[in-house]
Amino acid sequence: MDKLVAQYSRPPHQNELYNEQEQEDLSASVPPLSLKFSLPPVDNRSAFLRAMTDDHSNPSCPIKLAHGTTTLAFRFQGGIIVCTDSRATAGNWIASQTVKKVIPVSRLSRGEDKPSNDPTPGLLGTMAGGAADCQYWLRYLSQQCTLHEIRHKRRITVAAASKILANLTYAYKGYGLSMGTMLAGVTPQEGPALYYIDSDGTRLPGNLFCVGSGQTFAYGVLDAEYRYDLTEQEALNLGRRSILAAMHRDAYSGGFINLYHVKEEGWVHHGFDDMNPIFWKTKLDKGEFSNVTSEL
Amino acid sequence: MRGPTVLKAEDDKTRQLNKNTLMAFSGESGDTVQFAEYIQANAALYSMRNDTELSPSAVANFVRGELARSLRSRSPYTVNLLLGGIDPVTEAPHLYWIDYLASLAPLPYAAHGYAQYYCLSILDKHHNPNINLDEGLKLLTLCTDELKRRLPIDYKGVLVKVVTKDGVREIDVDNDKVVKCA
Amino acid sequence: MTSFMGHQSRGETIGYSFSEPTAAPVKQHSFYPYTDNGGSTLGITGSDFAILAGDTRSTSGYNINSRMVPKVFRIGGDDETGEGAQILLSVVGFAADGNALKERLDTMVRMYKYQHGKSMSVGACAQRLSTILYEKRFFPYYVHAILAGLDEEGKGALYSYDPVGSYEREQCRAAGAASSLIMPFLDNQVNFKNQYIPGSGEGHALEPKKAEPLPKNTVKQLVRDAFTSAVERHIEVGDGLQMMIITREGIEEVYHPLKKD
Repeated sequence: MDKLVAQYSRPPHQNELYNEQEQEDLSASVPPLSLKFSLPPVDNRSAFLRAMTDDHSNPSCPIKLAHGTTTLAFRFQGGIIVCTDSRATAGNWIASQTVKKVIPVSRLSRGEDKPSNDPTPGLLGTMAGGAADCQYWLRYLSQQCTLHEIRHKRRITVAAASKILANLTYAYKGYGLSMGTMLAGVTPQEGPALYYIDSDGTRLPGNLFCVGSGQTFAYGVLDAEYRYDLTEQEALNLGRRSILAAMHRDAYSGGFINLYHVKEEGWVHHGFDDMNPIFWKTKLDKGEFSNVTSEL
Repeated sequence: MRGPTVLKAEDDKTRQLNKNTLMAFSGESGDTVQFAEYIQANAALYSMRNDTELSPSAVANFVRGELARSLRSRSPYTVNLLLGGIDPVTEAPHLYWIDYLASLAPLPYAAHGYAQYYCLSILDKHHNPNINLDEGLKLLTLCTDELKRRLPIDYKGVLVKVVTKDGVREIDVDNDKVVKCA
Repeated sequence: MTSFMGHQSRGETIGYSFSEPTAAPVKQHSFYPYTDNGGSTLGITGSDFAILAGDTRSTSGYNINSRMVPKVFRIGGDDETGEGAQILLSVVGFAADGNALKERLDTMVRMYKYQHGKSMSVGACAQRLSTILYEKRFFPYYVHAILAGLDEEGKGALYSYDPVGSYEREQCRAAGAASSLIMPFLDNQVNFKNQYIPGSGEGHALEPKKAEPLPKNTVKQLVRDAFTSAVERHIEVGDGLQMMIITREGIEEVYHPLKKD
């Protein structure tokens, strides 16, 4: 009854013009990378959002969102390896084959990938799940980390950064966010640290994570040969090979292999390479992928 | 399994179809054993009538035909199969992947169910057609270790049988080994 | 106003990891604030220019509402005509949302110029558009946006967006109804995907053709070809082709007739 009254007691054209707050937002010099989101005028918002955008439960939904896919990160004696594929899909449509799913977090390291091989200080985040969710909230995290640096005159720990993100995703639990992300970084306080955070509100520290629809395939290869005392070269190769395995078996993964190494001094980029030549080189030189044949 | 209860931990989910062909099955309880033994009986009948063993490819195609026929009947068998054998003439090993919709695929390695998601990538990397029995068993251990590590359910171990040109034999495996996540 | 930090409808969480697929059929909603107005847009960049193009048909279902509704807009111009703009935006999908988005971004960019006394860079504008889209994450704009301009080095810059604001800088992008027809053509003709240098080797040694920025006239012709082809095979595309070419000299706008059936 109250609702009914509220519905009819409101002037019908109340929202036609910008109200004071909105005018201020429009003219604010700093864009509000913030927690203000417009919501649909329905009771069950998450059901509305799901009906409109979730192609898993509703394949004919009108708004197809771009989704990310296979990502992995693991700790070893030389730091942390972070590796991803580069495919974004919207339903069955491959929206992009060149997505950068490793996102540098914090102001210092966010700039474009430099051609030089010097390590760049800062944390790395990965994106799996909704592409926009990951991009936006890692950006938000980046802002928070930078503020932390300014306020405290030292870099934020991975534990603290991951907690900011986990608190955030937990606050939005049930709203329909979709993200599975890993935060990797080496700090003086923690050494190499790796955290998994997802949109359910889960936050886990660990040695080894694979996230996305191709996770099981990556886990298969990674678990079989993972040791903490891998050499740097072995670790890089294992990361690359695990993503290749997922790209081969999971249709939602593919494109380019994006490889990073996080060390004490910062992260180093080890290439954004087309999977196809790597696949054929692996098959022909090492005799792997024996299920791929030219026989009928 | 019946509801939430494990009824038997060491059930043999394979049937030997003839001297050098073995079939492993999974799927709807009841259907699986019934179908496997039906195939087993028909393979035996063929051997007796014609005094010759069917080759693995012949059995596989027969099984596929029976599943396809069943699929279009009132109550189809819901059975997924892996069929392995040695061709008695050429002595070449064969493996067939067959699902309850009667798809048949000859493959160098195969799996059904959740095992596919974890094991196929391992097999992609470590398998090659020239491995010997010992290497094959090591590869199998790699796969079962991964399942122990990552599957959310405790699947109570595996039963391993090997098909060679001399027939089928069971191999002892250590099912009590504990594997932990890294 | 509603608190955004509460925990409503816990039972209805869309789980991320291995969540059970919802067995219940998707509920029918009486509230359906969207419609698809069809059409297609396309953007390609070169070394010193960027082109944004779109057809001018507006449909709803099988009806053609109008044959002249532009989908490409100037952003941040000095007046209503868009004179002085240095950024282009194309939107395709739900035209009302598209218009709202265009107005919002235009306001932001003009406000920026007013407050900072300089024009917004494309990079900054691209990030801003992303946050504008994401602000409606829970009630999305039903649009696929493409933003174009020239970057700090004077090179053509093109950014493409999904409805809730994930974005990426690219060389070329097709969006809208015929994107699945146009994008593969662009992959082949702009990024030279699946093109190899003849005689460079046998089998796997065959060298792929390297992608490089195309000259303006070639790109203009590619855009026209893409649209004439899309018109042949998609019912929601046709009537007219609106092309905006941004260079250091400014924005050139060209119209081309397309088939009207």
